Amino acid sequence: MDCREFCDQHLAFVDDTLAGIELVRMQRHMAECESCAKHDAKIRRALLLFRNLPSIEPSANFSHRLEARLKECQTEQLVHSQRNLRLGAIAATLASAIMLGYISMTLHNQTGVAPDLVMPPVVATIPESESLTPSAMMTSVSAGLTIWPAALFAEQVPVRFAHSQLELTNYTR
Amino acid sequence: MADIVRKHVVSVEGQTVRERLQAMDDSAVVTEFLGGEERAFSELVTRYQTRLLNFIYRTIGDREKAEDLVQEVFIRVYRHLHRFDRSKKFSTWVYTIASNLAKNELRNRSRNPLVLFQTVQKNFQDEDRPLQFEDTTSRPDDMYRKRHLREIVEETVAKLPEHHRNVFVLRELEGKSYEEIAEITECNLGTVKSRLNRARNPFAEIIAPYVD
Repeated sequence: MDCREFCDQHLAFVDDTLAGIELVRMQRHMAECESCAKHDAKIRRALLLFRNLPSIEPSANFSHRLEARLKECQTEQLVHSQRNLRLGAIAATLASAIMLGYISMTLHNQTGVAPDLVMPPVVATIPESESLTPSAMMTSVSAGLTIWPAALFAEQVPVRFAHSQLELTNYTR
Repeated sequence: MADIVRKHVVSVEGQTVRERLQAMDDSAVVTEFLGGEERAFSELVTRYQTRLLNFIYRTIGDREKAEDLVQEVFIRVYRHLHRFDRSKKFSTWVYTIASNLAKNELRNRSRNPLVLFQTVQKNFQDEDRPLQFEDTTSRPDDMYRKRHLREIVEETVAKLPEHHRNVFVLRELEGKSYEEIAEITECNLGTVKSRLNRARNPFAEIIAPYVD
Protein backbone atom coordinates (compact mmCIF):
# COMPACT_ATOMS: atom_id res chain seq x y z
CA MET A 1 0.00 0.00 0.00
CA ASP A 2 1.27 3.45 -0.86
CA CYS A 3 0.52 6.77 0.88
CA ARG A 4 -2.05 7.80 -1.69
CA GLU A 5 -4.07 4.63 -1.21
CA PHE A 6 -3.77 5.13 2.55
CA CYS A 7 -5.23 8.64 2.28
CA ASP A 8 -8.03 7.42 0.00
CA GLN A 9 -9.08 4.79 2.51
CA HIS A 10 -8.47 6.86 5.61
CA LEU A 11 -12.11 7.98 5.98
CA ALA A 12 -13.31 4.39 6.18
CA PHE A 13 -10.33 3.51 8.38
CA VAL A 14 -11.24 6.13 10.98
CA ASP A 15 -14.91 5.18 10.82
CA ASP A 16 -14.15 1.45 11.20
CA THR A 17 -15.93 0.50 8.03
CA LEU A 18 -13.01 -1.22 6.32
CA ALA A 19 -12.92 -4.92 5.64
CA GLY A 20 -10.52 -7.01 7.75
CA ILE A 21 -7.80 -7.38 5.10
CA GLU A 22 -7.84 -3.69 4.25
CA LEU A 23 -7.65 -2.82 7.91
CA VAL A 24 -4.52 -4.92 8.35
CA ARG A 25 -2.94 -3.34 5.25
CA MET A 26 -3.65 0.15 6.61
CA GLN A 27 -2.15 -0.71 9.98
CA ARG A 28 0.90 -2.25 8.32
CA HIS A 29 1.39 0.89 6.22
CA MET A 30 1.13 3.10 9.32
CA ALA A 31 3.79 1.04 11.02
CA GLU A 32 6.08 1.62 8.04
CA CYS A 33 5.23 5.21 7.12
CA GLU A 34 5.76 7.85 9.80
CA SER A 35 4.09 10.60 7.80
CA CYS A 36 0.84 8.62 7.40
CA ALA A 37 0.91 7.63 11.06
CA LYS A 38 1.18 11.33 11.98
CA HIS A 39 -1.68 12.19 9.62
CA ASP A 40 -3.85 9.54 11.24
CA ALA A 41 -3.05 10.77 14.75
CA LYS A 42 -3.75 14.37 13.76
CA ILE A 43 -7.18 13.55 12.38
CA ARG A 44 -8.16 11.35 15.29
CA ARG A 45 -7.10 13.91 17.91
CA ALA A 46 -8.98 16.73 16.19
CA LEU A 47 -12.12 14.64 15.89
CA LEU A 48 -11.88 13.61 19.52
CA LEU A 49 -11.73 17.25 20.49
CA PHE A 50 -14.80 18.09 18.43
CA ARG A 51 -16.77 15.11 19.74
CA ASN A 52 -15.98 16.16 23.30
CA LEU A 53 -17.29 19.69 22.94
CA PRO A 54 -19.65 20.38 25.82
CA SER A 55 -23.26 19.73 24.92
CA ILE A 56 -25.62 22.65 25.24
CA GLU A 57 -28.97 22.21 26.94
CA PRO A 58 -32.25 23.92 26.06
CA SER A 59 -32.96 27.02 28.14
CA ALA A 60 -35.31 26.88 31.13
CA ASN A 61 -38.30 28.36 29.31
CA PHE A 62 -37.87 26.17 26.24
CA SER A 63 -40.55 23.67 27.28
CA HIS A 64 -43.04 26.40 28.25
CA ARG A 65 -42.56 28.20 24.97
CA LEU A 66 -42.94 24.97 23.02
CA GLU A 67 -46.04 24.04 24.99
CA ALA A 68 -47.60 27.42 24.25
CA ARG A 69 -46.83 27.10 20.56
CA LEU A 70 -48.20 23.56 20.44
CA LYS A 71 -51.43 24.78 22.08
CA GLU A 72 -51.69 27.51 19.43
CA CYS A 73 -51.11 24.85 16.82
CA GLN A 74 -53.84 22.65 18.31
CA THR A 75 -56.28 25.58 18.35
CA GLU A 76 -55.45 26.37 14.74
CA GLN A 77 -56.03 22.78 13.74
CA LEU A 78 -59.31 22.71 15.66
CA VAL A 79 -60.53 25.93 14.04
CA HIS A 80 -59.47 24.62 10.66
CA SER A 81 -61.29 21.32 11.11
CA GLN A 82 -64.41 23.12 12.43
CA ARG A 83 -64.35 25.43 9.43
CA ASN A 84 -64.09 22.44 7.13
CA LEU A 85 -66.94 20.77 8.99
CA ARG A 86 -69.09 23.91 8.69
CA LEU A 87 -68.34 24.23 5.00
CA GLY A 88 -69.23 20.58 4.53
CA ALA A 89 -72.51 21.04 6.37
CA ILE A 90 -73.39 24.08 4.25
CA ALA A 91 -72.56 22.22 1.07
CA ALA A 92 -74.65 19.23 2.17
CA THR A 93 -77.63 21.48 3.05
CA LEU A 94 -77.43 23.21 -0.31
CA ALA A 95 -77.17 19.95 -2.17
CA SER A 96 -80.14 18.47 -0.33
CA ALA A 97 -82.21 21.64 -0.96
CA ILE A 98 -81.44 21.45 -4.68
CA MET A 99 -82.26 17.75 -4.70
CA LEU A 100 -85.58 18.34 -2.90
CA GLY A 101 -86.46 21.12 -5.32
CA TYR A 102 -85.72 18.91 -8.26
CA ILE A 103 -87.75 16.02 -6.85
CA SER A 104 -90.73 18.25 -6.07
CA MET A 105 -90.65 19.74 -9.57
CA THR A 106 -90.51 16.30 -11.12
CA LEU A 107 -93.42 15.11 -9.00
CA HIS A 108 -95.42 18.23 -9.87
CA ASN A 109 -94.83 17.68 -13.57
CA GLN A 110 -95.93 14.05 -13.34
CA THR A 111 -99.13 14.69 -11.39
CA GLY A 112 -100.23 17.97 -13.03
CA VAL A 113 -102.34 18.38 -16.30
CA ALA A 114 -100.21 18.26 -19.36
CA PRO A 115 -100.04 21.73 -20.88
CA ASP A 116 -100.89 22.36 -24.56
CA LEU A 117 -98.12 21.60 -26.87
CA VAL A 118 -96.69 24.83 -28.10
CA MET A 119 -94.25 24.70 -30.91
CA PRO A 120 -91.48 27.21 -30.99
CA PRO A 121 -91.80 29.84 -33.68
CA VAL A 122 -90.04 29.01 -36.90
CA VAL A 123 -88.23 31.63 -38.87
CA ALA A 124 -87.96 30.57 -42.49
CA THR A 125 -85.89 32.30 -45.07
CA ILE A 126 -85.96 31.89 -48.81
CA PRO A 127 -82.63 30.62 -49.97
CA GLU A 128 -80.87 32.99 -52.25
CA SER A 129 -80.98 31.74 -55.83
CA GLU A 130 -77.75 30.93 -57.46
CA SER A 131 -77.11 33.26 -60.29
CA LEU A 132 -75.70 31.99 -63.50
CA THR A 133 -72.41 33.52 -64.16
CA PRO A 134 -72.34 34.38 -67.83
CA SER A 135 -68.61 35.02 -67.74
CA ALA A 136 -67.96 31.41 -66.77
CA MET A 137 -70.11 30.25 -69.62
CA MET A 138 -68.42 32.60 -72.03
CA THR A 139 -64.99 31.47 -70.90
CA SER A 140 -65.74 27.90 -71.60
CA VAL A 141 -67.20 28.73 -74.98
CA SER A 142 -64.33 30.92 -76.07
CA ALA A 143 -61.77 28.36 -74.98
CA GLY A 144 -63.06 26.10 -77.70
CA LEU A 145 -64.43 23.53 -75.37
CA THR A 146 -67.55 21.69 -76.01
CA ILE A 147 -70.81 23.26 -75.08
CA TRP A 148 -71.39 20.77 -72.24
CA PRO A 149 -70.40 23.11 -69.40
CA ALA A 150 -72.99 25.59 -70.51
CA ALA A 151 -75.55 22.83 -70.72
CA LEU A 152 -74.70 21.78 -67.19
CA PHE A 153 -75.16 25.35 -66.03
CA ALA A 154 -78.45 25.47 -67.78
CA GLU A 155 -79.56 22.39 -65.87
CA GLN A 156 -78.79 24.08 -62.61
CA VAL A 157 -80.39 27.43 -63.34
CA PRO A 158 -83.61 28.34 -61.60
CA VAL A 159 -86.97 27.90 -63.15
CA ARG A 160 -87.15 31.46 -64.39
CA PHE A 161 -84.23 30.69 -66.66
CA ALA A 162 -86.28 27.99 -68.32
CA HIS A 163 -88.97 30.48 -68.92
CA SER A 164 -86.68 32.45 -71.10
CA GLN A 165 -87.38 29.89 -73.80
CA LEU A 166 -83.93 28.49 -73.76
CA GLU A 167 -84.13 25.04 -75.24
CA LEU A 168 -81.50 22.55 -74.09
CA THR A 169 -81.74 20.73 -77.34
CA ASN A 170 -80.73 23.80 -79.30
CA TYR A 171 -77.43 23.87 -77.52
CA THR A 172 -76.64 20.31 -78.19
CA ARG A 173 -77.18 20.57 -81.94
CA MET B 1 -60.77 8.29 50.88
CA ALA B 2 -62.12 7.41 47.43
CA ASP B 3 -60.64 10.65 46.16
CA ILE B 4 -57.19 9.74 47.45
CA VAL B 5 -57.43 6.28 45.92
CA ARG B 6 -58.52 7.76 42.57
CA LYS B 7 -55.64 10.24 42.62
CA HIS B 8 -53.21 7.44 43.42
CA VAL B 9 -54.55 5.30 40.58
CA VAL B 10 -54.30 8.21 38.15
CA SER B 11 -50.72 8.98 39.18
CA VAL B 12 -49.75 5.32 38.98
CA GLU B 13 -51.44 5.09 35.58
CA GLY B 14 -49.68 8.25 34.40
CA GLN B 15 -46.34 6.95 35.53
CA THR B 16 -46.97 3.65 33.82
CA VAL B 17 -47.79 5.31 30.53
CA ARG B 18 -44.65 7.46 30.74
CA GLU B 19 -42.51 4.49 31.57
CA ARG B 20 -44.11 2.45 28.83
CA LEU B 21 -43.39 5.26 26.35
CA GLN B 22 -39.80 5.53 27.54
CA ALA B 23 -39.27 1.85 26.89
CA MET B 24 -40.62 2.08 23.34
CA ASP B 25 -38.63 2.80 20.20
CA ASP B 26 -39.38 5.95 18.17
CA SER B 27 -41.64 4.20 15.72
CA ALA B 28 -43.86 2.82 18.49
CA VAL B 29 -44.02 6.22 20.20
CA VAL B 30 -45.12 7.78 16.91
CA THR B 31 -47.81 5.13 16.56
CA GLU B 32 -49.00 5.89 20.10
CA PHE B 33 -49.21 9.61 19.32
CA LEU B 34 -51.14 9.01 16.13
CA GLY B 35 -53.43 6.75 18.12
CA GLY B 36 -54.36 9.74 20.30
CA GLU B 37 -51.83 9.50 23.15
CA GLU B 38 -50.73 13.14 23.50
CA ARG B 39 -48.03 12.27 26.05
CA ALA B 40 -46.18 10.42 23.32
CA PHE B 41 -45.27 13.74 21.74
CA SER B 42 -43.65 14.91 24.98
CA GLU B 43 -41.59 11.75 24.91
CA LEU B 44 -40.39 12.58 21.39
CA VAL B 45 -39.52 16.12 22.49
CA THR B 46 -37.58 14.80 25.49
CA ARG B 47 -35.64 12.42 23.26
CA TYR B 48 -34.70 14.90 20.57
CA GLN B 49 -34.59 18.43 21.99
CA THR B 50 -30.97 18.41 23.17
CA ARG B 51 -29.66 16.47 20.17
CA LEU B 52 -31.40 18.78 17.72
CA LEU B 53 -30.33 21.87 19.62
CA ASN B 54 -26.67 20.82 19.46
CA PHE B 55 -26.91 19.86 15.82
CA ILE B 56 -28.52 23.14 14.78
CA TYR B 57 -26.27 25.20 17.03
CA ARG B 58 -23.13 23.62 15.58
CA THR B 59 -24.49 24.23 12.09
CA ILE B 60 -25.59 27.85 12.41
CA GLY B 61 -23.52 29.01 15.40
CA ASP B 62 -26.28 31.03 17.08
CA ARG B 63 -27.71 29.51 20.23
CA GLU B 64 -30.85 31.62 20.51
CA LYS B 65 -31.78 31.09 16.90
CA ALA B 66 -30.98 27.40 17.27
CA GLU B 67 -33.59 27.13 20.04
CA ASP B 68 -36.18 28.86 17.85
CA LEU B 69 -35.41 26.47 15.04
CA VAL B 70 -35.69 23.42 17.32
CA GLN B 71 -39.12 24.67 18.33
CA GLU B 72 -40.01 25.06 14.69
CA VAL B 73 -38.88 21.48 14.05
CA PHE B 74 -41.23 20.17 16.74
CA ILE B 75 -44.12 22.28 15.47
CA ARG B 76 -43.63 20.85 11.98
CA VAL B 77 -43.37 17.34 13.37
CA TYR B 78 -46.60 17.89 15.31
CA ARG B 79 -48.43 19.20 12.27
CA HIS B 80 -47.22 16.66 9.76
CA LEU B 81 -46.63 13.50 11.76
CA HIS B 82 -49.67 11.87 10.15
CA ARG B 83 -47.87 12.23 6.80
CA PHE B 84 -44.65 10.61 8.03
CA ASP B 85 -43.80 7.40 6.20
CA ARG B 86 -43.51 4.94 9.06
CA SER B 87 -41.46 2.52 7.02
CA LYS B 88 -38.58 4.99 7.44
CA LYS B 89 -36.61 6.03 10.49
CA PHE B 90 -38.19 8.79 12.55
CA SER B 91 -34.81 10.26 13.54
CA THR B 92 -33.81 10.63 9.88
CA TRP B 93 -37.04 12.48 9.17
CA VAL B 94 -36.58 14.82 12.15
CA TYR B 95 -32.96 15.54 11.22
CA THR B 96 -33.99 16.22 7.62
CA ILE B 97 -36.43 18.88 8.84
CA ALA B 98 -33.78 20.34 11.16
CA SER B 99 -31.12 20.30 8.45
CA ASN B 100 -33.41 22.08 5.98
CA LEU B 101 -34.34 24.73 8.53
CA ALA B 102 -30.67 25.32 9.38
CA LYS B 103 -29.84 25.59 5.68
CA ASN B 104 -32.64 28.12 5.15
CA GLU B 105 -31.41 30.13 8.11
CA LEU B 106 -27.88 30.28 6.70
CA ARG B 107 -29.24 31.21 3.27
CA ASN B 108 -31.37 34.01 4.74
CA ARG B 109 -28.40 35.28 6.70
CA SER B 110 -26.20 35.47 3.65
CA ARG B 111 -28.95 37.42 1.87
CA ASN B 112 -29.54 39.79 4.77
CA PRO B 113 -26.35 41.50 6.00
CA LEU B 114 -28.18 43.02 8.98
CA VAL B 115 -29.05 39.58 10.37
CA LEU B 116 -25.44 38.50 9.83
CA PHE B 117 -24.18 41.55 11.71
CA GLN B 118 -26.61 40.94 14.60
CA THR B 119 -25.47 37.32 14.85
CA VAL B 120 -21.82 38.30 14.90
CA GLN B 121 -22.53 40.93 17.54
CA LYS B 122 -24.49 38.45 19.66
CA ASN B 123 -21.71 35.90 19.48
CA PHE B 124 -19.23 38.60 20.44
CA GLN B 125 -21.32 39.43 23.51
CA ASP B 126 -21.52 35.72 24.34
CA GLU B 127 -17.76 35.63 24.60
CA ASP B 128 -17.91 38.22 27.36
CA ARG B 129 -20.15 36.05 29.50
CA PRO B 130 -18.67 34.04 32.38
CA LEU B 131 -17.72 30.43 31.72
CA GLN B 132 -20.63 28.06 31.72
CA PHE B 133 -19.32 24.68 30.80
CA GLU B 134 -15.94 24.31 32.44
CA ASP B 135 -15.38 22.70 35.75
CA THR B 136 -14.97 25.58 38.24
CA THR B 137 -12.69 23.52 40.45
CA SER B 138 -9.99 23.48 37.74
CA ARG B 139 -6.97 25.75 37.89
CA PRO B 140 -7.43 29.13 36.15
CA ASP B 141 -4.77 28.45 33.50
CA ASP B 142 -6.36 25.08 32.70
CA MET B 143 -9.75 26.73 32.43
CA TYR B 144 -8.34 29.37 30.14
CA ARG B 145 -6.67 26.75 27.97
CA LYS B 146 -9.84 24.68 27.77
CA ARG B 147 -11.97 27.67 26.96
CA HIS B 148 -9.53 28.87 24.36
CA LEU B 149 -9.40 25.43 22.76
CA ARG B 150 -13.16 25.16 22.73
CA GLU B 151 -13.40 28.51 21.00
CA ILE B 152 -10.82 27.47 18.43
CA VAL B 153 -12.73 24.26 17.70
CA GLU B 154 -16.04 26.10 17.38
CA GLU B 155 -14.53 28.77 15.15
CA THR B 156 -12.88 26.17 12.95
CA VAL B 157 -16.14 24.28 12.50
CA ALA B 158 -17.92 27.53 11.72
CA LYS B 159 -15.35 28.29 9.02
CA LEU B 160 -16.06 25.08 7.11
CA PRO B 161 -18.25 25.48 4.03
CA GLU B 162 -21.92 25.01 4.90
CA HIS B 163 -22.48 21.69 3.12
CA HIS B 164 -19.23 20.25 4.49
CA ARG B 165 -20.07 21.40 8.00
CA ASN B 166 -23.56 19.89 7.85
CA VAL B 167 -22.18 16.46 6.96
CA PHE B 168 -19.33 16.81 9.46
CA VAL B 169 -21.65 17.62 12.37
CA LEU B 170 -24.08 14.84 11.46
CA ARG B 171 -21.26 12.31 11.40
CA GLU B 172 -18.99 13.42 14.23
CA LEU B 173 -21.49 14.85 16.67
CA GLU B 174 -24.64 12.90 15.96
CA GLY B 175 -22.92 9.68 14.94
CA LYS B 176 -25.13 9.19 11.88
CA SER B 177 -24.21 6.57 9.32
CA TYR B 178 -23.19 7.59 5.80
CA GLU B 179 -26.52 6.28 4.48
CA GLU B 180 -28.53 8.31 6.97
CA ILE B 181 -26.53 11.44 6.20
CA ALA B 182 -27.15 10.88 2.50
CA GLU B 183 -30.87 10.70 3.18
CA ILE B 184 -30.92 13.73 5.47
CA THR B 185 -28.86 15.93 3.18
CA GLU B 186 -30.42 14.50 0.01
CA CYS B 187 -27.03 13.65 -1.50
CA ASN B 188 -25.60 10.42 -2.78
CA LEU B 189 -23.24 8.29 -0.72
CA GLY B 190 -20.15 9.33 -2.68
CA THR B 191 -20.86 13.00 -2.10
CA VAL B 192 -21.29 12.40 1.62
CA LYS B 193 -17.92 10.62 1.87
CA SER B 194 -16.19 13.24 -0.20
CA ARG B 195 -17.64 16.11 1.86
CA LEU B 196 -16.75 14.39 5.10
CA ASN B 197 -13.17 13.85 3.96
CA ARG B 198 -12.94 17.47 2.81
CA ALA B 199 -14.26 18.67 6.16
CA ARG B 200 -12.06 16.45 8.33
CA ASN B 201 -8.72 17.26 6.75
CA PRO B 202 -8.79 21.08 6.96
CA PHE B 203 -10.39 20.89 10.40
CA ALA B 204 -7.54 18.70 11.67
CA GLU B 205 -4.94 20.92 9.97
CA ILE B 206 -6.20 24.01 11.80
CA ILE B 207 -6.63 22.27 15.15
CA ALA B 208 -3.32 20.37 15.12
CA PRO B 209 -1.04 23.22 16.34
CA TYR B 210 -3.28 23.75 19.37
CA VAL B 211 -3.36 20.08 20.30
CA ASP B 212 0.35 19.27 19.99
